[in-house]
Amino acid sequence: MGNTAHTVTGGDDQRWPCSWSDQEHYYPRREIVRILLSLPSSHDPEQRQYVTASPYWSSTAQVPLLMWSSKSLPPLASPLAGHITSMEELAAYLTPAFGSGPHTVLLFLQDKLSKDDFTLFGGVFGNKQESAFRNLEAALQSSSSSMTFPALEWTGESAIPSLLQEKLGASPLLVDADTLSHLSLNTSVSNLLLINLPYCSGSLKSCKEVLSDNDEVMGKVLSFLKAKDVSYTAIYTGLQPSQVISRSSLLNQQVGRTLLQAPGAVVRPPIIYNMSGAPCIMLWAQSLLISLPSSSEWIDLAAESPSLSRSMCNSTNSMLVLNFVNYTLSFAMSQRFYPVSARNWFTLDSVQLQVHQTGQTGSFIGSRGIYAPAEYSFRCQSVSSFRDALLIPSNQNTTQWRLNFIDFQIQGFGLSNSTNFSYASDCAGFFTAGIWMGLITSLLMLLIFVYGLHMIMQLNTMDRFDDPKGPSISVPQSE
Amino acid sequence: MLLEWMMDGHAILYTGLTLAFWSTILIVGICYTIFDLGFRFDVAWFLTETSPFMWANLGIGLAISLSVVGAAWGIYITGSSIIGGGVKAPRIKTKNLVSIIFCEAVAIYGIIMAIVISNMAESFSGTTPETIGARNYQAGYSMFGAGLTVGFSNLFCGICVGIVGSGAALADAQNASLFVKILIVEIFGSAIGLFGVIVAILQTSKVKMGD
Repeated sequence: MGNTAHTVTGGDDQRWPCSWSDQEHYYPRREIVRILLSLPSSHDPEQRQYVTASPYWSSTAQVPLLMWSSKSLPPLASPLAGHITSMEELAAYLTPAFGSGPHTVLLFLQDKLSKDDFTLFGGVFGNKQESAFRNLEAALQSSSSSMTFPALEWTGESAIPSLLQEKLGASPLLVDADTLSHLSLNTSVSNLLLINLPYCSGSLKSCKEVLSDNDEVMGKVLSFLKAKDVSYTAIYTGLQPSQVISRSSLLNQQVGRTLLQAPGAVVRPPIIYNMSGAPCIMLWAQSLLISLPSSSEWIDLAAESPSLSRSMCNSTNSMLVLNFVNYTLSFAMSQRFYPVSARNWFTLDSVQLQVHQTGQTGSFIGSRGIYAPAEYSFRCQSVSSFRDALLIPSNQNTTQWRLNFIDFQIQGFGLSNSTNFSYASDCAGFFTAGIWMGLITSLLMLLIFVYGLHMIMQLNTMDRFDDPKGPSISVPQSE
Repeated sequence: MLLEWMMDGHAILYTGLTLAFWSTILIVGICYTIFDLGFRFDVAWFLTETSPFMWANLGIGLAISLSVVGAAWGIYITGSSIIGGGVKAPRIKTKNLVSIIFCEAVAIYGIIMAIVISNMAESFSGTTPETIGARNYQAGYSMFGAGLTVGFSNLFCGICVGIVGSGAALADAQNASLFVKILIVEIFGSAIGLFGVIVAILQTSKVKMGD
């Protein structure tokens, strides 16, 4: 049986991604085989792993779970597209969410729910007015925080009620829209209110009407709670998936394409030095590469997080000192008023690098190339000491040190209580020097050419002595 | 008549181009001003980042080309008059060639200056304004200025001598005694070309390009 050769992205997921199910959802024309999977709900991890590690029988049962709250839920990076959230991940998320204090949780448990219901009845093809989930959408938008798990694994029976019961320490109370009005909630303890919603299997009404009715019920319950001014967390999910696609072994093909979104690179926040509570100096760089005289390899300092002691900032001078484990990198900036341009400019006067081990120091002067008006930040794609050098070594021994800062942005003045950089004055202008030189010479030559052309074009043959009525010129052929 | 002028294709083209050029400048300038990006309009950056070689060679090129334009224009004007007048009065041909020679002298000034200026261009090894050094910048700008000086002086000198020479030829055709007097006017016209050469020599006297 063995593993197929196709790549699995998102290495933290121990299972194979269920790519076929997503494909099926996007191509509804394909015949969808509805098989109610009755997998043994085994808690034996080895057995579970054996079942799901098979490439020829991938479990595709997933149920979406939507969660919104009038309080703020702890943030979680949104799940990557195609990633199936396991129950453990959900449990790990709910622990901090419901950890402290009493919570009132509304669980809208629909008989069946799948992503396809939202696609089919949610008015997602530009027909928002026909959506069957208007109250749900309004609730999600108006809530103070919401969380969506588009694909929660489902292994035979829904573990959501029991999981919530365990997290909240309260047993579920079955309510519906009418009994809720007679209910008095004790908000000092956790409450789990369970509202069962039907699905449209075999009923006389169309699916859309059933879902719209469910939506009405949700709207009523939520407005009731809002009127009572109770802070709640609502969860909308299904007991089972309404559509399940099973890639049974009769297909016997190798999965060719995975649709699992690869996790993007996490972007680091900028280094911010605060002075009396407000940010004073900000620095961001994709990489701070240094190369010492002894070695020829590059060390990226941006991967470590430095301490900012010995940094200082006042109205005319700012010094940002980054203390790494083996190195210290410091940026000294100053600003003053320049009378010709009548504005304040700041310059990065010097960049100093100190190696702790040997005590050597290399210092570079940056005031020639690194400057910007004091209210703005300076940004450059490449700040280096050797190629189009903006940093010039200050003395002869420093020439063997090399710095190369990639995608570098710095601001030392003018930050007022916000952690955003001001407008970034880029080191690259619109036209380079070469473009200007080419433009001047070619426009000059074009001007000369056009002038000459104009002169030639306004030469006319003389017609003063033309006489149309007189005899025309005849050139005799013979002598 | 305005309509006829407007219907002229040249006028429409030139009006269109001028309008496009000035409106571009105006809109770019306004945008820079309202977005407080005026600091990016940096003339000093332009003057220090553009290579002195460009300026030097522009000067050399303009020296010779503008002088030749002046000479050519002058010869064209004088030549057509001499040829036209010579149909009815063939005696003017030989004497009026001196006007052509005055025009030609202008071109000779131009080429001499171009050779003199181009001999001053040497290579230097700096790449940034600090390493290039002030002397090389001075050399580049002086050579540009000298080329411009000699070029434009010779241009207008050539045109002037040409028009006067044309008048001299036609006057000579009518009345042979007029020629010598008009020649004096031509000599004054020719002197201005020489002034340009002298000033250009002075401009490039201190030029020293190189490391």
